[in-house]
Amino acid sequence: MIPDPLSQLTRRQLFSSCGIGVGKIALASMLAADRSYASSSDGLHHVAKAKRVIYLFMAGAPSQLDLFDYKPKLVELEGKPIPPSVIAGQRYAFIQPDAAVLSPRFKFSRHGESGAEISEILPHTAAIADDLAIIRSVHTEQFNHAPAQLLVNTGSPIPGRPAIGSWLTYGIGSEANDLPGFVVLTSGGSLSGGAAMWSAGFLPGEHQGVPFRSEGDPILHVADPPGVSRQTQRKTLDLIQRLNQDRLSVVGDPEIATRIEAYEMAYRMQSRTPELMDYSGEDAATLEMYGAQPGKPSFANNCLMARRLAERGVRFIQVYQADWDHHSNVEGGLKNQCKITDQACAALIKDLKQRGLLEDTLVIWGGEFGRTPMVEASAALGRSGGRDHHPQAFTMWMTGGGIRTGQTIGKTDELGFHPIETPVHVHDIQATILHQLGIDHERLTFNYAGRPFRLTDIHGHLIKDLL
Amino acid sequence: MHLNADSSRSLQPVYRWPVNLVCIAFACFVGWLPTGDAFAQSDRPVDFQREVRPILAGKCFTCHGPDDAAREADLRLDEATDALTDRGGYQAIKPGGHRESEVWKRLVTDDADLRMPPADRHEPLSPAQIETLARWIDQGAKYETHWAFVPPSEPPVPVVPGAATPIDAFINRSLDDARLQPSPPADPYTIVRRVYLDLIGIPPTPAEADAFVADSSPIAYSRLVDSLIARPEYAERWARPWLDLARYADTNGYEKDRPRTIWPYRDWVLNAIASDMPFDQFTIRQLAGDMIPGATDEDRIATGFHRNTMLNEEGGIDPQEYRFHAMVDRVGTTGTVWMGLTVGCAQCHTHKYDPITHTDYYAMFALLNAADEPEHEVADPEVTARREAITAQVRQMEDRLIEEHLLSANDSTAGSETEIKNAFEEFVAATRTAARDWQVVVPSAMESTMPILTVQDDGSVLASGDVTKREVYRLTFPPLQNGSAFTAIRLEALPDESLPAGGPGMAFYEGRRGDFFLSELSLSVGDNVLKLEKPSTSFGKISIGSGSADAGNVIDGEGSTGWSTSGAEGQANRWVANFEKPFSPDAPWTIEMVFERHFAAALGRFRISLASGDEAVALKFDAATEAELVKWQTDPQAAAGPSLVDSLQRRFLYVSDLIKEHRKAIESLRAKMPEPVRTLVMRERPEGNERLTRRYHRGEYLHPREEVAPAVPAIFAGTDGPMPTNRYEFANWLVSDANPMFARVTVDRAWRDLFGRGIVHTAGDYGTQSEPPSHPELLDYLATRFVSDGMSMKRLHREIVMSDAYRRSSHRRPEVFAIDPQNKLLAIGPRRRLEGERIRDAILSSSGLLAHRMGGPSVFPPQPAGVTARAYGNVKWNESQGANRYRRSVYTYAKRTAPFAALGVFDGPTGETCLPRRDTSNSPLQALTLMNDAMFIEMARAIADDVAREVDPGDKQATASAIFRRLITRPPTQNEVTAIVDFHQAIEADDAARWMLVARALMNLDEVITTP
Repeated sequence: MIPDPLSQLTRRQLFSSCGIGVGKIALASMLAADRSYASSSDGLHHVAKAKRVIYLFMAGAPSQLDLFDYKPKLVELEGKPIPPSVIAGQRYAFIQPDAAVLSPRFKFSRHGESGAEISEILPHTAAIADDLAIIRSVHTEQFNHAPAQLLVNTGSPIPGRPAIGSWLTYGIGSEANDLPGFVVLTSGGSLSGGAAMWSAGFLPGEHQGVPFRSEGDPILHVADPPGVSRQTQRKTLDLIQRLNQDRLSVVGDPEIATRIEAYEMAYRMQSRTPELMDYSGEDAATLEMYGAQPGKPSFANNCLMARRLAERGVRFIQVYQADWDHHSNVEGGLKNQCKITDQACAALIKDLKQRGLLEDTLVIWGGEFGRTPMVEASAALGRSGGRDHHPQAFTMWMTGGGIRTGQTIGKTDELGFHPIETPVHVHDIQATILHQLGIDHERLTFNYAGRPFRLTDIHGHLIKDLL
Repeated sequence: MHLNADSSRSLQPVYRWPVNLVCIAFACFVGWLPTGDAFAQSDRPVDFQREVRPILAGKCFTCHGPDDAAREADLRLDEATDALTDRGGYQAIKPGGHRESEVWKRLVTDDADLRMPPADRHEPLSPAQIETLARWIDQGAKYETHWAFVPPSEPPVPVVPGAATPIDAFINRSLDDARLQPSPPADPYTIVRRVYLDLIGIPPTPAEADAFVADSSPIAYSRLVDSLIARPEYAERWARPWLDLARYADTNGYEKDRPRTIWPYRDWVLNAIASDMPFDQFTIRQLAGDMIPGATDEDRIATGFHRNTMLNEEGGIDPQEYRFHAMVDRVGTTGTVWMGLTVGCAQCHTHKYDPITHTDYYAMFALLNAADEPEHEVADPEVTARREAITAQVRQMEDRLIEEHLLSANDSTAGSETEIKNAFEEFVAATRTAARDWQVVVPSAMESTMPILTVQDDGSVLASGDVTKREVYRLTFPPLQNGSAFTAIRLEALPDESLPAGGPGMAFYEGRRGDFFLSELSLSVGDNVLKLEKPSTSFGKISIGSGSADAGNVIDGEGSTGWSTSGAEGQANRWVANFEKPFSPDAPWTIEMVFERHFAAALGRFRISLASGDEAVALKFDAATEAELVKWQTDPQAAAGPSLVDSLQRRFLYVSDLIKEHRKAIESLRAKMPEPVRTLVMRERPEGNERLTRRYHRGEYLHPREEVAPAVPAIFAGTDGPMPTNRYEFANWLVSDANPMFARVTVDRAWRDLFGRGIVHTAGDYGTQSEPPSHPELLDYLATRFVSDGMSMKRLHREIVMSDAYRRSSHRRPEVFAIDPQNKLLAIGPRRRLEGERIRDAILSSSGLLAHRMGGPSVFPPQPAGVTARAYGNVKWNESQGANRYRRSVYTYAKRTAPFAALGVFDGPTGETCLPRRDTSNSPLQALTLMNDAMFIEMARAIADDVAREVDPGDKQATASAIFRRLITRPPTQNEVTAIVDFHQAIEADDAARWMLVARALMNLDEVITTP
């Protein structure tokens, strides 16, 4: 039947908890209602391998052909158009399909015991190759940034659906009771998908991702206003709580009790945040490993923050780096972006590993689509030596949280155009993420507008090779 | 969907189970039930609508419902014909005999392969549900049409002692049936606060509240209600839920989320609500105002309703794909708002639960799909006056320059003046020489990739309709009889009111509106492409990108270079080239134009001409002026006419380097010219230019299938009379008796807005999956009265708030919650958190800062800079100054990808989809906002300052009480006053800040953000 929002409210009140930092409990109640699936897995659909997720989102779409998916055939075809049989019926954002081939821009070599083939501009990633599961056959239907980013994050190319992180905090809550359960960290330029990528969609509003601001207070309004001391703030809280308590005793509306709890949590967030932001406990070696400089916003800082949030029980941490859209000079653009991200990504994995967090932290790296084997050039736009959007095939990697690493799965054709082995759709990635967290993607649903919705819509298959 | 054709699931009788064995299995399964025939004999009548259909809909219809593509075993259980049919010795449902009904056998068998529903599809039915189905079958298995699909008829009002209004009669009867006592009326302070917040969205001032409380007249309340409904703030409060449905926003959404102008539509809604426009008219104007005979400007503005869909401006998108998505949104929104059905489900396949087929969906799509989506210039007296003033001033300044530099008597001392005059003479002479006698040529056949091309009276070609991002025009011209040889060709890019920003291009996203980008132009006779050379333009500039707009780009064979006149929207410009060898068009010839950019940038209006003579160039004069020049040229003795001289003089002011310094003042004044206000509207295409609608396989844009004719869903088409075939007829149909849904949906929405929940709880869905109404007769009473009383929303709101049910105390009573935990029967009065807009407006009003001004462009109240900086393009939030900081929240600029933070945190809408009901979450981020957002601190300070002017600041008790009452209306208790005064003493703060901190604390009380 249709879930009754009022009874959902009652459930929330029952557990005296607010959406942010609900604790594990809401979840269990939701899944337990699903009688036939009750199991010994702590209220989950099955035993979870991961407790939290760090998603390193390379927005703008890195060129798989220059980083992970080496194609010698492109050297051979450099400057020539791709055969019409391959490009027929394909839609592109900027180029005409008969544009000439552009060969890989960098040297590749094999790394680790797994022999993963990785570009020379990712030396740090190459050094942890055996910790990764590289997927070279990811595909999507969306060939523009905003819809493609939304598809990855929400399962739909149109804004308005809940993000993965929202589904997770809705489904299994968060273990952080003084921080949001779903945190978004950003660096680089603008994000095409925008706030819709961390929207709670039709899920209750408290499941929305909370974007941390890179300068000043990380959470909007978390600092007391100028002139208000902590003591005054506490006394203010006390007055609010006391008068609300009085009112609760007269009116009896449990929503007032929830509000009282929300104010306490707000106060805890205010107290906890300075500690979260205080990097003084990080030793020099750690900072150096990430390449992080406290106080200076950067992707490296965000990676370090991601680890700190993971330690504090945040369920879903999304780290965006925005500037991978290399329509022109893909070679120079990649050099820049790899310089910004390669070391920090590898450092995060090493750091999680040395702290014993990697085993239950699922880490994902990737963009929203790939880039064309063909060159992009345009006089009107002043572009040359670039690559256009390529939804047909791209590369992602995953690690931690029970993922089988030390392997490269999937294969594309000799042009890197289409997957020819183990194609993995974006919905399959989502299904696999939920699976590692103990959730069956087909069973985590929410009734809205007359039908049950889920993250993977009507799609999604587990990537068996990774489990 | 079952992908495997599993034979065990086809509907074959279960022979393996002797009936008695099944009984045993069943008895074990439902051990608590009476055995044997006892339960089947239970004769409590089963209500199909309330008890049976929800079970069938929830457990069976996915595979045995309306969707024939998903149907299993060729069996429908949603209608009697199929369910009861004889299938060769057995029936799915055998009326009167549940044991002989295959359905029942399948429910109770313990063979997992045979049991329904399949374990991987649905949870099993509960024993109680199985028992209900069995009784229903035994009682004759009577199917009834889903209640919402049966037109409402006015029920008699039950006679219930003590019921003050018909609404109360229905409600009290249900309470009596449940043996529940209604709560007493709320105290007058609660009532006055509740009705103010509900009807006008702001609380009463303490004085207004006291006046009401002191008024002992029996009609005091009804007088108050009438006065509130008549206030302009009523419209500002009630526009909001409608704008949620309309998914109103001030930006385009998606990646770039650039600004759009559609606030005139928002003002239309405000005015319509303020004047209590009957709901049928309110509907017809918004859906099809442009098609009303004698449509006014206002009627056209109203069609903005369906222009509130998002527009994707990301570079490189397929514009038609996003038009398709916008259409999907329109169909879904129309279904939700006027039909209460989730028709959107049928985009991909026939609805699983409701009788709407996949084809029905695209038939509705077709009804809405015949319009173009232009802008409509809105008469805005302020803007018009400002434009006229600037135009007049510019003219005066030009006149002065002409007077000073071109006409004044020669003064030998001023050498520069002479130089200018000489330059002007040269300019005139050169222009005169350069003019060519252009002959307009008119194509006899035209093809394009997508737009509809039509020849206009002046020989120009106008494009309309849809457009792609790689557009090719092929124009075929007849041979010219006069046998002359031409040496040059001219292409005029012409403005047209029907084009975005007045043209000349069709660009409507990503590039500047009205922009075009001509990549290539070629002229050929048969296979022979004529060579063109020495090209020139009157003006060239491209938008988005660093490339040139040189005339030569058009004939360089390179698609990514071209000619464009960005920034000259609404103006004519020209491109001219010369033939390498004279061209004698004695056979049919063709011109091909290619427009190739990462956004749609075809020309919207243009004209082709040919000329002969010496090398031709593009003049900085329009064609009419050039024609005058030609006349003057051919008669060397003649003087130029006054209008020609005037044109030459004015043009010279803008092209001569010698005047550069002098014209700066004019240029900076011109830059201040406000754009005319153009709002987004619908315009039905003329007959003959209809847009074809197809069914899209699985709802996917890339998989169009057969053509679908416009129609309402077949289930509603059974009635007599003509059925709608276009948008206007559809709009009329939606608010006619033929649509059983709209009146119920509309009154229920009002009910929900006032009680916090609808009579049907599942807002936006009244289909078979919806929860049955808590008070079906009340719903029909309100719906039928609404229609018979002329569809007045004000009358409906009045009737609801006049009821006792609305005026009850909202204090919880445990004995009620034991019986009716969700207060569905309304024994207790409504209490709910306000939405963000009313929270801000209420506190603004309490602070005395609220600025009362209705309508106009959206405003930018203060919020932290970071909120919009994260949005695409690091958007700056230009905080409004003065009164615009303090306007009602309905005027707050709604940016889809970065909603105003203080509204968003309280579950405010993004404007991305139609929102029939808002969530009311309760989160620590809301607490942080109310405590720490500078906007609210400013209000707290204003309250403290204002109260200090009214009350002796030395009197702490009185001051505490005054602040409390401004925010909460009722007088505080002595305990509350004491707590506040203690707080005032105890905090560490300057004396000046203490009362502000008190106000800040009190603003955070639950009561402030709640209708009591």
